[in-house]
Amino acid sequence: MRVANGLVLGDSAKEEMEETKNNDDNVKKNELNHKQGVDDEEPRNLVLNAASNLEEATLDGEAETNQRVEESDSSEDEVAPRNTVGDVPLKWYKDEEHIGYDITGKKIKKQARKDMLDSFLAGVDNSKNWRKIYDEYNDEEVELTKQETGLIRRLLKGKTPHEEVDPYAPYVDWFVWDDAKHPLSNAPEPKRRFIPSKWENKKVVELVRAIRRGDIKLDKPKEESRLYLLWGDDSSSAEKAPGINYIPAPKPKLAGHEESYNPSVEYIPTKEEIDSYKQMYEEDRPKFIPRRFESLRNVPAYENAIKESFDRCLDLYLCPRTRKKRVNIDPESLKPKLPSRKDLKPYPSKCYFEYKGHKDAVRSISVEPSGQWLASGSNDGTVRIWEVETGRCIRIWEVGEGVQCVAWNPMTGLTILAVAVGSDVLLLNTGIGDDEEQDKIKKLLHVEATSVANHSDHNASLVDWLQHDKYEGIRMRFLKTVTSVEWHRKGDYFSTVMPGGDSRGILIHLLSKKLTQKFSFKQHGIPVATKFHPSRSYIFIATKKAVRVYDLLKQKLMRKLEPSLREVSSIAVHPSGDNVIVGSREGKLCWFDMDLSPQPYRKLECHPKDITNVAFHQSYPLFASCSEDSTSYVFHGMVYSDLNQNPLIVPLEILRGHAATNGRGVLDCAFHPRQPWLFTAGSDSVIKLYCH
Amino acid sequence: MPKHYRPAGKKKEGNAAKYITRSKAVKYLQISLQNFRKLCILKGIHPHEPKKKVEGTHKTYYLMKDIAFLAHEPILEKLRDIRAYDKKVKKARVKKNEERAKRLLTRRPSYTLDRVIKERYPKFIDALRDLDDCLTMVHLFAALPSMDTEKLAVQRVHNCRRLSHEWQAYISRTHSLRKTFISVKGIYYQAEVEGQKITWLTPHSLQQIVTDDVDFNVMLTFLEFYENLLAFINFKLYHSINVKYPPILDSRLEALAADLYALSRYFAASSRSQAVESADPNLAIQENAAIEDKDTRNDESELRLAQLQHQLPANEPGTLMQLVEEAAGEDNDDEETKVCRALFKDLKFFLGREVPRESLLFIIPAFGGVVSWEGDGAPYEETDKSITHQIVDRPSQKHSFFSRDYVQPQWIFDCVNARIILPTDDYLVGRVPPPHLSPFVENEAEGYAPDYAKTIKHLQAASRKEIMPLTGVDKQDLEDSQSLLVEGIISRTEATEAAERKRKMAILEKQYHDELKMELKGVPYTTSKSISNETDMQSPAETTNGKEELLNVLPDPDPDPDQIAKDASSMSTLVMSRRKRRLYEAMQIGKERKEAHTNLLKQRKKKAESSKKSA
Repeated sequence: MRVANGLVLGDSAKEEMEETKNNDDNVKKNELNHKQGVDDEEPRNLVLNAASNLEEATLDGEAETNQRVEESDSSEDEVAPRNTVGDVPLKWYKDEEHIGYDITGKKIKKQARKDMLDSFLAGVDNSKNWRKIYDEYNDEEVELTKQETGLIRRLLKGKTPHEEVDPYAPYVDWFVWDDAKHPLSNAPEPKRRFIPSKWENKKVVELVRAIRRGDIKLDKPKEESRLYLLWGDDSSSAEKAPGINYIPAPKPKLAGHEESYNPSVEYIPTKEEIDSYKQMYEEDRPKFIPRRFESLRNVPAYENAIKESFDRCLDLYLCPRTRKKRVNIDPESLKPKLPSRKDLKPYPSKCYFEYKGHKDAVRSISVEPSGQWLASGSNDGTVRIWEVETGRCIRIWEVGEGVQCVAWNPMTGLTILAVAVGSDVLLLNTGIGDDEEQDKIKKLLHVEATSVANHSDHNASLVDWLQHDKYEGIRMRFLKTVTSVEWHRKGDYFSTVMPGGDSRGILIHLLSKKLTQKFSFKQHGIPVATKFHPSRSYIFIATKKAVRVYDLLKQKLMRKLEPSLREVSSIAVHPSGDNVIVGSREGKLCWFDMDLSPQPYRKLECHPKDITNVAFHQSYPLFASCSEDSTSYVFHGMVYSDLNQNPLIVPLEILRGHAATNGRGVLDCAFHPRQPWLFTAGSDSVIKLYCH
Repeated sequence: MPKHYRPAGKKKEGNAAKYITRSKAVKYLQISLQNFRKLCILKGIHPHEPKKKVEGTHKTYYLMKDIAFLAHEPILEKLRDIRAYDKKVKKARVKKNEERAKRLLTRRPSYTLDRVIKERYPKFIDALRDLDDCLTMVHLFAALPSMDTEKLAVQRVHNCRRLSHEWQAYISRTHSLRKTFISVKGIYYQAEVEGQKITWLTPHSLQQIVTDDVDFNVMLTFLEFYENLLAFINFKLYHSINVKYPPILDSRLEALAADLYALSRYFAASSRSQAVESADPNLAIQENAAIEDKDTRNDESELRLAQLQHQLPANEPGTLMQLVEEAAGEDNDDEETKVCRALFKDLKFFLGREVPRESLLFIIPAFGGVVSWEGDGAPYEETDKSITHQIVDRPSQKHSFFSRDYVQPQWIFDCVNARIILPTDDYLVGRVPPPHLSPFVENEAEGYAPDYAKTIKHLQAASRKEIMPLTGVDKQDLEDSQSLLVEGIISRTEATEAAERKRKMAILEKQYHDELKMELKGVPYTTSKSISNETDMQSPAETTNGKEELLNVLPDPDPDPDQIAKDASSMSTLVMSRRKRRLYEAMQIGKERKEAHTNLLKQRKKKAESSKKSA
């Protein structure tokens, strides 16, 4: 194209510009032709164009040059250069006087050389000097127009020379596919389109090798700081801490006074103490032994620093973490609010009386229903009767063996005392009361030999009713040791417990007829105690594990109470009959509300040792327990008639005073029938009366 | 069908599905145990205690969720890459292809922990809360010698040093240091940053004793995480006070940062040898030699030292601190910060060669003091007239200026903890200073306060009163006679108590004498009380009525107040529910233990006092 146009500029920029411009022109023309739909004429047209260019150039001559640039869009304005030497090196003409030939073949003379100074001065004066370019080919100065400089500027920026040209215009497909039946080429895609180029690969390998050899040096990636503002905007981050289950590690314990390099004297263990540490188990041994240094400069490096740090590391990543609830409360606030003890008065609180006289531990006591007399049985083989008010001992029976149990007949006026001694039960006439009563008693306590004979065959194996040979009363001979005697409220029936008696463990006797009968239910375990219901015909049988309630009239099991204690030792029934307390050998006291449940309503762990006996007061809302730890507890136990309200249990007083002998403390307790007084019998052979 | 049988195709349920044993977890993740450990440490995953240990009681259980979380961790992939890479390097070495090995060594895969940090601590405050261990560890490693055998490189030690200095500089600048404590284990510091109390322990700046019964791999993994964490935290903190991070130190300043390190090591060697010298000079020499040996082995640190020597004259003090100091001056400090800033306000300190310089250079500026030291690059000389306190730790001071107090370093620490300028009398050179007490102990809660704590408390009260116009005490008086003042304050409250005690004692003593007399007569103690009054009544009755027993009317037995109180408490525990009672008892046990401890302390104190009197 350049040859065809014959334009050679000294300045390369100019040259480039021209070239592109011409290209542009041609493209434009082509487009125009397309539009006119004269595809087949295209080559000819091009030729024509070139010819016309030549013609015009010859016609217009050099005068047209400026104009041509200005109107570069029209092909008619294209001006051919003056010189016609063609594309030959200009140095060939260096020494000549002419620079070439014009189209007519005449020599074109070189213009006179301008003085450098002059040209410089001219340039200084002329503000448009920078626009001027010397055209070596034509030996002339050309002044670039504004448009031309604009074009150059755009070219330098790498843009298209003409602003209006859009190099990325959407492609318009002028070919009409409508009627074409076949593709231009039906050949399948060659394989080489799908496989990586072998030669390219070779080139890459070559480069890689060069890099490895070190022929090509790559810049090392700059070491950039990895740090940045990690927690930039905390407020916006809605992220929660990792999971609900995340448990932060507990902080290490802070140092106390003893870790100081200079602790006060009291923190430094003595030599003996340090020696004693060696005796301890390794786990119990204190890990840190305080030492004292006179001044800071004497302190050495800590020998376990790394080890302790390591241990902490292990704790952090190897210990399972669990949340432990630590209650940070005043321990006193845990205690329940109890009604004031002053409001619950009267209750026995102080030792008022002591009954002394027994030589050995007092095993059992019983208060006469009127509250005037107290009977006691002791291990020294005596039964004594005391006057409660004065403490006078009015009667003593020597019964030979250690007394297990004493029990007054509950009928007032019927002052019979039942005493369990070894394998005998004695029914003694105490001789208290007026003559009329005495007569009645004597009649009752008279055993006819015939009746014995009558019943002997029937009862032989059970019990022998005999007249006591020494004292006024009846002696009943049992097979095994009898531990307790319990009267029915009407004073005619009484029951005895014989723990070793198997099926005959519990016997019920009828005093008026001198009759004995077996308890007609199957025995579950070893019986411990029996109690009659205070108003109904029920009997409570306490075995070591459970308490069973039987109806004696209907002859059936009414209820079974399960204290879940190791060994039941005693039982007492509330005067209303619906509440029972059970004491056990492990020192626990169970309160049963029989309407509520066969399980205990409340379990009180009051004694560290065996509970020996429990007792209810007949009229006051009081109950007591006594134990071998030589204390007895007095409780307030209010039972409400409203079934919705649970019984109220308040511990009132711990009664001390008995001394422990042979490892046994208080052996029995009994309430006064009318006053809020408590009698306790101790193994120190003393009976105490506690009053309000 | 047994209860534990699970039909095929049925999913695991309950604990069996929720937990996984460690060995199973390792198999599940298909990595080595070492890498599993590393991953757990970096991600902060710890075992859990399942309610029912399905696989056996002696196994470690992880939450299945945690393990699944690890399985998606990009670092896991990186660890595998590293393993493959290590194999490549090894293979190249074995095949004598050193060139390839060398080339490979330049391209070790690495991972960054920023994402993990952000994940573990989504908020800055979370990170601060967990910073204690981090700081302790970084400070410890900053004091360790580099060890080739344990793969502890010099760069890491230096990095730790740099990070710890940066942290200290921030704390010092913001005056957020609150408590300090010199323990046998090192020096504890407690700072308060954004309301979080952060406590850390720095070892005494001596040659540390390196034990070989620890697994350094585990520790270094922790350290790796902690270094990153602390760097990001420092970045954030510096950003918050408008300082560019990492601080751009010119070589001069950088050398100084190392200077503290190198010099402290020298000090460690020299001070230790000083201490030992009196006992056995040979040993000291040997030790020095050993230390020097270590130094020579450690080429790099020596190089650093050489560089240091070269640059020493040009040094200036507290490079980092000053750098931070410049960008400063906000007045939105809280009350405590103000107090801390003003504590050493008008005081000028000078440190002797033998005191732990690094620690004091940190503490004194943190409480507003000006400090210099003996050595090159110190801001002012020892001869400076305006110095108020010189910190020395030697048996005696030969040359001394009258214008200043020569105190032991403990004085600084005690002043800081008490927040007042304590009288320097007890801390003067050559004296055994008063006991150094831990500021972390609440004496009231502990139930026992050492004497010196009481003294300090009175002094604090006095200093507070001083500001108020009510005080009638002379200011001079306050400073001079501490003991007098203390006595004065004690007396009012304690005199009444003492009188009370005395009265009680007298009563008890009388009772005791009575009982003794009775015992001599042969009356057993238990019954003596009850019987004593009746004996005279009984004997005539017995004579008159031999058969009948006696009535024993008891007088009101004197109620033992202790017994009554005990009974009352035991009775109220009686009706508590079992759970509450157990809790109560447990509390009681703790209380008793504490009491036993205080009793032991009191006993020891009494013994010490009595021995002092007798001596």
